[in-house]
Amino acid sequence: MEQLTSSLTPRTPSKSPVAGSSQQSSGSVAKRLGNELMTLMMSASPGISAFPKNDGNLFEWVGTIEGAPGTVYAGLTFRISISFPPNYPYVAPAIKFDTPCFHPNVDINSGGICLDILQDKWSAVYSVQTILLSLQSLLGEPNNASPLNTDAAAIWNNQEAFKTQLMRHYRPL
Amino acid sequence: MARKDFEMVNRCRRLPVCLEIFLDELRQKFYLVREDVDSFLAQYEVCSKSSVRYFTNVIVFQQSEDPTHISKLIFRLKEWYDAWLPSEELGATIRNAFILSFQTQLYSTLGPAFVKGFKDLIASTLPSSDPEAPEKPPDTAMWVIFETLGFLDRYESIIASAGYEHIEAYVLENCAGQWAEPMMENLRTWMSEKIVPWMLLMYGREATTTDDARVMLANVGSRFDFHMAKTLCDLRTREIFDIIVDYPDSNGALQDLKECLQRVDQRGALVKSLRKANRKRLLHPGADTRLILSQYVSTIKCLRIVDPPGVLLFKVADPIRRYLRERPDTIRCIVSNLVGDEDSGDSLVDESEPIVPLQQPDTEDYTDSNWEPEPIDAGPDFRTNKPSDVISTLVSIYDSKDLFVKELQVLLAQRLLAITDDNEVKVEKERRNIEILKIRFGEAALQVCEVMLKDMTDSKRIDGHVQSQKASIVHPTIISRQFWPMLESSEIVMPGQFQVLQEQYAKEFSTFKPDKRLRWLPHLGTVHLELQLEDRTVKADVPPLEAAFIELFSEKNIWSMDELIAAVGSVDRSAALKALLTWVHKGILREDEQGTFRLLEIAEEASPTREQPRLASTQQEIAPVTSLQQQQAEQMKVYWKFIEGMLTNLGQLPLDRIQTMLKFAPGYDQTIEQLAGFMEAARREGLVTVKDGIWKLTPK
Repeated sequence: MEQLTSSLTPRTPSKSPVAGSSQQSSGSVAKRLGNELMTLMMSASPGISAFPKNDGNLFEWVGTIEGAPGTVYAGLTFRISISFPPNYPYVAPAIKFDTPCFHPNVDINSGGICLDILQDKWSAVYSVQTILLSLQSLLGEPNNASPLNTDAAAIWNNQEAFKTQLMRHYRPL
Repeated sequence: MARKDFEMVNRCRRLPVCLEIFLDELRQKFYLVREDVDSFLAQYEVCSKSSVRYFTNVIVFQQSEDPTHISKLIFRLKEWYDAWLPSEELGATIRNAFILSFQTQLYSTLGPAFVKGFKDLIASTLPSSDPEAPEKPPDTAMWVIFETLGFLDRYESIIASAGYEHIEAYVLENCAGQWAEPMMENLRTWMSEKIVPWMLLMYGREATTTDDARVMLANVGSRFDFHMAKTLCDLRTREIFDIIVDYPDSNGALQDLKECLQRVDQRGALVKSLRKANRKRLLHPGADTRLILSQYVSTIKCLRIVDPPGVLLFKVADPIRRYLRERPDTIRCIVSNLVGDEDSGDSLVDESEPIVPLQQPDTEDYTDSNWEPEPIDAGPDFRTNKPSDVISTLVSIYDSKDLFVKELQVLLAQRLLAITDDNEVKVEKERRNIEILKIRFGEAALQVCEVMLKDMTDSKRIDGHVQSQKASIVHPTIISRQFWPMLESSEIVMPGQFQVLQEQYAKEFSTFKPDKRLRWLPHLGTVHLELQLEDRTVKADVPPLEAAFIELFSEKNIWSMDELIAAVGSVDRSAALKALLTWVHKGILREDEQGTFRLLEIAEEASPTREQPRLASTQQEIAPVTSLQQQQAEQMKVYWKFIEGMLTNLGQLPLDRIQTMLKFAPGYDQTIEQLAGFMEAARREGLVTVKDGIWKLTPK
């Protein structure tokens, strides 16, 4: 039932009248996203940030992640896009890298990310902030056991060669 | 006999030649007249010069020159005229030819010096403005001579201007600074009693009956009346600022002005003059906001008298309102007036003015049968200013009344927290104020204030209950955090017995209300202390910080300031010093060396520090409630986070996009102009850069 409602609901909280329950739910989703935005803005975690793309649509965000100092990604900044489903937070948001990111768990072409908490390990207690923090730590500590980018996984242990490959693909903002 | 001769000459057709010869002779002999004129004018000038020298330091409204010489000259001219005038028997033609020729010669002789003298002479014929001076009988003979010599026509403008100047002098002398009574009536009486008889000599000379005279005077009379009105109007226009200052004692002057403005079109000048005076004397940093407000209120009242439709007011008020909007403490001033602060001096609001709900600038009422078109000089953005009450006008300085309501809450919080000893009377007074304000602002707007008042009574009830369970000397005021304005937070931890008392009370409270928890605001409130020292007992009412410090001294006698600050948590050094100095002044502590204090168990006699305690030091000077302005600054910090967030992620944005994106920030209510100012401030701090109206963060 949940699935069915979600597929009927427009992805954006549109102004057109929709069925009572879904309207209510999209309203409460928007409220939750508003709160998350507020929390994110007010708690200054260094190197992570996100903001809605457009006014009026709280479901599409743009995020920014800076590589943590001490890792090969230090000093680099990556842009990501976050798309919240209408039944958020029961379903994880869809996240992908917009800046090409050479990383064992990131698809270099599509920007897709292989991270457990974004798939089967997702829980409603996570928030934008926890996702961003997880992504930031994922950059420094990849899960080489299940790579999306096998080339990257292969040369991870040779950090210098990895850095060269990384910089070849990297585009500054 | 002569007639026969004359006819003979005429029949011989020698008459034109004779006339020619006669006129020629007149021209040649005219030097005699000229000599006389010159000698009289010379005498006049010598006399007037000496008199000028005499009178330089004395301001006299009457002419200082003595025109008697001119008067003599006039009579002498008349003698010449009579001497040469052909006898009447010779017929009108010849007489007219003579008159024309004589006048031509005369006028060419009389230069500017005579004009000046003539004006003096005319002025001397005017009724004296000094009521003590004996009334002079009008010198009719002289006016007849003027007529004969043709002066009345030739010098009419000079005569009139002498009259105008006389009126001006009289008006200025009698009306300047006299605002209590309307002057117009008196002036008109004066005109008809004094000036009209004089005018009759000049303009009514051919009148045979009074009706005739009235008709003749009608035209010129209205000119003089206009001049009088204009003079008065100019005078009042110059004085308008002070007239408004003096209101309501200057009611008379305002009535005059109203009447004058209907007669004379000086409305533009009045607006200009008042705006200039306001700019120069009122709207500058030196003027107190209260003062500006009360002058504004007076201006409203005054200009409503002068111009009921309110066009003048609208034009004058605009700069004042714009200026007030920029003043940070305007709202505070208005609100404190609304709640009737005792210490704020006289109220802006008339006690007698009925309390009415705030009026919104309402739309045109098309069913109004008394509708009138807007006055002709109303500007395009003129809004019909229905005579609304003063408070509505003041509140309408701002776009929304929310600001007032917020400020009202802050003010109410301050006043409620300042109440000590369960002063029920004061709480009741606040309640009464709020009830009155409800009528103005509406029930909904003041709901929060209602909660605050309810908290006060509830605290008393809860305290009563807690005390009945377990008596305590702590009497807290329990307030609902959500509904009170932000209170200044404090990190003070009350030491020793205070803490014990607080904890006991909190425990009782939580058994009474298990779902609620007390969070102490220990820096607010008052403590009644009784200090038992070796040789004396001291009673004092002090703020909590002072109490905390002195409590610490019961542990040991000597503390350094840093130790004290550490013991109560964290406080400002200056606040700590102030608290300690309170005790020093009371002769209980003594500063041994810089930053070290010792308890004086035994009073030190003749200690230089034992002064009368300063009253100010025992009272909390800083307001415990953060003002609206601070709250706004706090709010702007939140908004800045959002701006930072959007610029980090979205790169660069134009101002209007930032404005629309900021609606994600809860409670964002700034206008785009305010945002622009804020961004500009951020740019000056080097946080952002702007290029072609696109803002972005300064790269780190």
